[in-house]
Amino acid sequence: VSIERITQRSMATHTLAGLQQSLSRLGELQEQLSGGRAINRPSDSPTGTASALALRAELAVNQQWSRNADDGLGWLGTTDQTLTNALDPLRRARDLTVAGLNGGAAGADAREAMALEIDQIRQGLIGTANTTHLGRPIFGGTTSGATAYDSNGAYLGPAAAPPITRVIGANTAVRVDLTGPEVFGAAGQDLFTTLSDTAAALRSGDTAALQGTLGRLDAGISGMTARLAAVGANYNRVQQLQQAAKDRVSSLTGALSDVENIDLPATVLALNLAQVANQAALAATARVITPSLADFLR
Amino acid sequence: VSDFAALSIGLTALTAARKGLDVTGQNIANANTDGYTRQRLVQQAVGAPITPALWSTYTGAGSGVQVTGIARLGDEFVTARARIENATLADLTQRQATLAGVENTLGEPSDTGLAGQLTDMWNAWHDVANAPGDLAARSVLLSRTTAVADGIRTVRQGLDALWSGGRQQLDTVVAQVNADAATVAELNQAILRHDNAGEPANELRDQRDSLLADLAARTGATVRYVADGTAEVYLGSSALVRGNTAAEVASTGAAQLSDMRSGAAAGPALVWAGSGGPVSVGGELGARLEGLTGTLPGYVDRLDAVTAALRDAVNAAHSAGYDLDGNPGTTMFAAGATSADIAVQITDPRRVAAAAHPPSGTDASLDGDNAAALGALGRADTGADSAYRQLVVDVGVAAQAANRRHDVQADIAQRADAAVDSAGGVNTDEEMVNLLSYQRAYQAAARVTTAVDEMLDTLINRTGMVGR
Repeated sequence: VSIERITQRSMATHTLAGLQQSLSRLGELQEQLSGGRAINRPSDSPTGTASALALRAELAVNQQWSRNADDGLGWLGTTDQTLTNALDPLRRARDLTVAGLNGGAAGADAREAMALEIDQIRQGLIGTANTTHLGRPIFGGTTSGATAYDSNGAYLGPAAAPPITRVIGANTAVRVDLTGPEVFGAAGQDLFTTLSDTAAALRSGDTAALQGTLGRLDAGISGMTARLAAVGANYNRVQQLQQAAKDRVSSLTGALSDVENIDLPATVLALNLAQVANQAALAATARVITPSLADFLR
Repeated sequence: VSDFAALSIGLTALTAARKGLDVTGQNIANANTDGYTRQRLVQQAVGAPITPALWSTYTGAGSGVQVTGIARLGDEFVTARARIENATLADLTQRQATLAGVENTLGEPSDTGLAGQLTDMWNAWHDVANAPGDLAARSVLLSRTTAVADGIRTVRQGLDALWSGGRQQLDTVVAQVNADAATVAELNQAILRHDNAGEPANELRDQRDSLLADLAARTGATVRYVADGTAEVYLGSSALVRGNTAAEVASTGAAQLSDMRSGAAAGPALVWAGSGGPVSVGGELGARLEGLTGTLPGYVDRLDAVTAALRDAVNAAHSAGYDLDGNPGTTMFAAGATSADIAVQITDPRRVAAAAHPPSGTDASLDGDNAAALGALGRADTGADSAYRQLVVDVGVAAQAANRRHDVQADIAQRADAAVDSAGGVNTDEEMVNLLSYQRAYQAAARVTTAVDEMLDTLINRTGMVGR
């Protein structure tokens, strides 16, 4: 190793390089602190960038799943409410049918009154079957029309409709609708036909026919109750999946922050250290550069 | 020996000391001049004749001092090393700058970059799946898709701008190289003349060394000093400068990236203006050429691959669906669209094919299954998103490697520069001491002259006065 000859200029160059280095470190920390982010460009940390990009995409999709779940809960909630509301008048119709069977001796006027009430219940049920959610008939399947049933109780939706589903997780789609035939029975044996048959049997006093419609009414009610239970189960499932998505959102947010954001205390500490180093370099420069032999010569 | 010889010795000493003060003054004056190499007076004692006469003897004490020249104290080997290290540094600096430009163009990771725009678009498909009949959701989807297409084109325009800027700078640097080479040839001529006339040409050599350092950094040129004092500059094995003649370098090839990609023009290259033969360059020009022909077109290819993946996946899925009126879906992007011209072809939100099922009779299906399938494309392992993420990460890795190599090389080059400065730089304290030495030498020489003068005075004016 040769002894290096030091010149004023080389000292100035070294000093400037040192000051530049400590200042650029300060600038880097300043950028991190003011932006709050440790990764400002991919080269800051390629692996961190890869994680950050993947985490962001995953975060966005989980947020979307949660929103999909909200929408699904709206559908299921409306269906649940509608079915609950539909069951009460149906039970009343059953009561009337039973009364019609027992009161065989009742007069034609009384039977006509019961038949009228059944007709009212049928009209109400058709209205209930046309309940909409966000402008779509909830029992209409994928129909683009405004109603699921016409005023005569004929189903208007597509015969073989695909289920309406909401994606609430990777490869997880939950059905959120019920079609009219599923709830009210297949065309010809549906509750609307049953109710009109019941009214006709009451008017004609045909006890045997009334007995038959009572059985169909019971089957319809129990079918609807079963559907209601299924809707409730689906509602729970969607809620659980949504909770999972939300939990995932918060854990992903934390992970993204770990990758992308600065460790504030550590960065502030590093900034202080860099400041001290910079000031030391400046002070040393002020002392080293000044003295010259010229100061000591007469 | 003549008595007057001592006076003549005193005179040579006075002249030499004055010359020494001049040189020291020049050193101090140029203490901060870039590329200045310190100089030192070379003096020699004048003694007996080298070949004495056959029958005579020489009893003289010497005839004083003689200035034989002004030496330039730089170290040629250290300077050559600094040139090589700085050429490597210039190369790495340029590579770093190119990759930093690409990084800035991508603008990742952020919420607003292309990755974020893609995610927003896939989520918009989910929203359409949730409400297939909602024209607002469909409009949002179309504008998000347009944003993705715009985002891709913006990145492409950024890469195009980097390329055109680099292409123009290539011409500028080539022009500087030609000008520097011509000046080096002129300096060679001037130095040769000075040397032949026996005059010092130290300052001209300093100037030439500065130009040689610039040339080496710009082109990676190697320098060979010839015995006659001229310097030869080589690019590869061909001479850029030899003696007093300089060859000229010219740039050829495409002026626009689009011309190069369409095959209308070859990629940029450097050739000899005279023969048209290829020039082998390193340094800044080498890195620039690499950026123009390799790095930037490579990343454009990658962006095109991302575009193609997006285009084909969305078009295929969209064409499989049915729109709000029950018509089969059309293509979302033009077939064959590249990153330069990708655009959304569908403007009517009703034409968005959200349904996977055909209409039943006249009743268009309001299922959102096709939209949900499109929304799921964002998570595909081989989709545009993962291709783009890979592109960003690859740019990051390349840029990080370039940054690290640059930092290491900057340190090495700084040490090499320091070594040059250590050998040839001016130390003002040292010059102060020299100043003192020459001053004292001058004073002493003057004293010698005075002593001889007083001696002669005694001899001439006071002898032969006995008894007067």
